[in-house]
Amino acid sequence: MDIPAMRANFAKAAAHGDHAPLWFYSHLFLSHPETRELFPVSMAHQRDRLFAALGQVVARVDDLDTLVPILQQLGRDHRKFGTVAAHYPAVGASLLATLEHFDDEWDDALAASWTEAYELIAQVMVKAADESTDQPPWWDAEVVDHDRRTLDIAVLKLAPRTPVDYLPGQALSVETELRPRLWRWYSPANAPRPDGMLELHVEARDGGPVSTALVRQVQKGDAVRLGPPVGHLALDTGSERDLLLVAGGTGLAPVKAIIDQVARQGPPRRVDLFVGARNEDAFYDRADLRRLAQELPWLTVTLAVSEDKTSSLEHGDIGDVVLRHGPWANRDAYVAGNPATVEDTVTRLHSHGLPMGRIRTEVFAASRPSPTVDGKVTE
Amino acid sequence: MTTSTPTAGDGERLTPDVVRDVRFTHGTMLHPGYTDTEVDAFVDRVSSELDRLTAENTQLREQLQRLEQQLAAAADRPSPSDQAVGILATAQLTADQYVAEAEAFSRQMTSEARLHYEEQLSQAREKAGAIIQAAQEAGVRISSGRSTPEVSAQPATEDLEEQVAYLRAFGQACRTQLRSYLEALLADVETEWGRAHPAALPEPPSGARVPRQLRGAQASFHSNETAADVGDEQPRTGVPAGTGSTATT
Repeated sequence: MDIPAMRANFAKAAAHGDHAPLWFYSHLFLSHPETRELFPVSMAHQRDRLFAALGQVVARVDDLDTLVPILQQLGRDHRKFGTVAAHYPAVGASLLATLEHFDDEWDDALAASWTEAYELIAQVMVKAADESTDQPPWWDAEVVDHDRRTLDIAVLKLAPRTPVDYLPGQALSVETELRPRLWRWYSPANAPRPDGMLELHVEARDGGPVSTALVRQVQKGDAVRLGPPVGHLALDTGSERDLLLVAGGTGLAPVKAIIDQVARQGPPRRVDLFVGARNEDAFYDRADLRRLAQELPWLTVTLAVSEDKTSSLEHGDIGDVVLRHGPWANRDAYVAGNPATVEDTVTRLHSHGLPMGRIRTEVFAASRPSPTVDGKVTE
Repeated sequence: MTTSTPTAGDGERLTPDVVRDVRFTHGTMLHPGYTDTEVDAFVDRVSSELDRLTAENTQLREQLQRLEQQLAAAADRPSPSDQAVGILATAQLTADQYVAEAEAFSRQMTSEARLHYEEQLSQAREKAGAIIQAAQEAGVRISSGRSTPEVSAQPATEDLEEQVAYLRAFGQACRTQLRSYLEALLADVETEWGRAHPAALPEPPSGARVPRQLRGAQASFHSNETAADVGDEQPRTGVPAGTGSTATT
């Protein structure tokens, strides 16, 4: 394998920007039409991702310790798209054809290098996919309850046909029949339950194909598919510190899952939950928060509004309100919400003595169709 | 020796059943055991049958290999021509553009509708708040101004309370109406957008037709005809918005 030559060759294709992946997919669909149905109608985002992923692979091809786990995760995650071992040679052939098409100096040596590299990649991905067959490639679930709470937010209750194993705070990718082949990430708002039921909080994003369908069109009885869980907001089970939870918008979901976990598994500790919104109408889960605060003596819930001056709730940005109730320096903090809220809250907490190592965050923004290399599921 | 004789004619094929059912005649007192000649003949027959099977096996293996090579060659289909790839790429870009436009349209509609909703709502709130406050102040003035006769004060307070209740209900109704109006608008956007499924893509043109389609392809992808066709498949539902649903509240 002549790695420098391969990198130079890849750079030539990559220099053509969108044209190279466009050529690749067109070649793939023409030579193997059966692969077309694995992809959504619009391929725009898909194209960005393919060459980004390939670029990462090419950059790390001489660092197998880093590359192999990435490929394994890719292989496992691709099962939910319906990718099978038989698709790999088809993709390899079109990839080689593409690299050849954009390189005038393509030769047999280069072809041999790429063939060898691709076979290695495919082998690692297929093996990882095969080894995870104890898990289904996806879980079929039924929407058993759909509750529009505000104009833009709905709370969905899903009953997976077989239980999904995840950690509270983790995210699952969701696909609805209404938007085939488009997967988006959502955090269940509960810890795994004996009956397997999941609660999702979905905010419709303007122009977002999946979120708007989940909020405004999906109905009770509809089918959705869930992909394997990924995530990083999971509760640090090695710590028994009291908790400070801060949520904005549907960032409430993973935070509720953490409360649920403390309630189910302990260890017992004090938990302070702060939920922020612009006005009172935006508290889409108020009734359930009230119920939790009544049932759980160790839980204190504080709601704060930033814009409605007439409200009887606390006023101010959530980060500000949290500080007023401090000090929090001895807590473990979990912060989830839109990027501005998370950043503001983390900065304030940190400047008031909470070490960064004890602040965990999840940013809720337009979600990525697949996690980045470091596991981020939103952008 | 019964069913079949081990020495049976050369023409007859040796089958597993024949071997299973073979019976040798027992020898005499001088030569105990099976009759040598019969056993020898049978061994000959078995070995020639094995030879034949081995040869056939080799031949079949070669044939299988040939077929596998043919299959691999067939699977390794000729690479689609650059022209074909180009056409599909253009079609894909066109589709991507339509989806992006639909998303942008939906985004714009939704955010404008929300902005409108929030403006109206806050205005209505402010108005209602001001009226309620004015009414309450008037109520306080009247009830504190004990000098005025009870008879006239009582109805005035009741009037005001009634007015306040009315205004509260009015505010609530405004909000409900606005919300259902906005929801109808949003529903309309969603319906217009429709369901997009890769399987719903038109059948690709058969190989033979590709060359003829090449010439017109570029033009037809951008022509208004294509856009009109899409429109026909997903007829506009008209604006089911506001009017109908708000009238009922």
